[in-house]
Amino acid sequence: MSLRLPLAAATAAVAMAMAAPAAARPITYTGGTMLMAESNADGRHASFTYSHSFRWATSVGALRHDGLATTGHLDLEYVRVAHLVRRWNFPAAQANAFVWGGLGHARTGVSDGLSPHVGLQLDYETRRIYTAFNSELYEGDGWSHRMDMATLGWAPYEHDIDRLATWIVVRGTHTTNAAETGVVGQAFLRFFTPKWWLEVGADENGEPIAGLMVNF
Amino acid sequence: MNPMIPRTLAAMALAMALGLPQPGFAKTLKMEVNGLVCSFCAHGIQSAFAKEPAAGEVLVSLENRLVAVELKDGQDIADATAKKLLTEAGYTVVSIRRVDTPVATLRAEVGGGD
Repeated sequence: MSLRLPLAAATAAVAMAMAAPAAARPITYTGGTMLMAESNADGRHASFTYSHSFRWATSVGALRHDGLATTGHLDLEYVRVAHLVRRWNFPAAQANAFVWGGLGHARTGVSDGLSPHVGLQLDYETRRIYTAFNSELYEGDGWSHRMDMATLGWAPYEHDIDRLATWIVVRGTHTTNAAETGVVGQAFLRFFTPKWWLEVGADENGEPIAGLMVNF
Repeated sequence: MNPMIPRTLAAMALAMALGLPQPGFAKTLKMEVNGLVCSFCAHGIQSAFAKEPAAGEVLVSLENRLVAVELKDGQDIADATAKKLLTEAGYTVVSIRRVDTPVATLRAEVGGGD
């Protein structure tokens, strides 16, 4: 078997594992800290973010991915800097353009080395509709990988700051060099208050996904 | 009895009846803000004003695009400072007014908020 196949599987796994947290906004508020944890059928991911301002944030994170066909597992630790390039505040809506870049150390059964990445996110949100487009590019020793993701959310009722917000979210993800070709769909429920955020759902293969974020 | 006391009480009663400011009540900054759509993000507004010594109770209402900050007795927050705090929290200030309504009353009027 070509060495490129397990590398491709490993890089796809990295990108897919990072997909869900990347869909959230990468910056909170000035002086705010955010803890994120995610678990799915294939692994776990956790990160810690400090927002220097509403325009800049630094994150550190680690993920573990099991069950890879030939590499067995993947471990990645990274540092990332995110920047809000532009925000549009409307009377009843907000839109954002974020970019980020980071550097990580990736270890698999067949490779061990640095892995830089870059990404961008465009989103538009009202109290009833959430849309986002997200794209990321990861590179490593002899491999390069891109992931594009589109997210659409709908809130069945308008929440306010004192009330639990509930969103029904669908997401499609396309990954280059992925073991599963085409767009992979996810559907989940998102609940949040000003201080925490919980997501539960499943992908199109029926595998459960869950995520938790806490604002400090 | 000091003849001033009944006069003062009468003046206070008249002021209350007319809806005039009650003696000793600090003003409230009532700000219309654009971009208030997400409670997760609006948490930053409360955190920003919590660091301001003159700020008392804070109300954020997404429905009414409202941020209201009650000022502590004898203290003030300049409009420019309030605008800067909201801008640095990532929002756009449309207007700032000073009203004599306590935040608790505003909260009851908007039917919620935090």
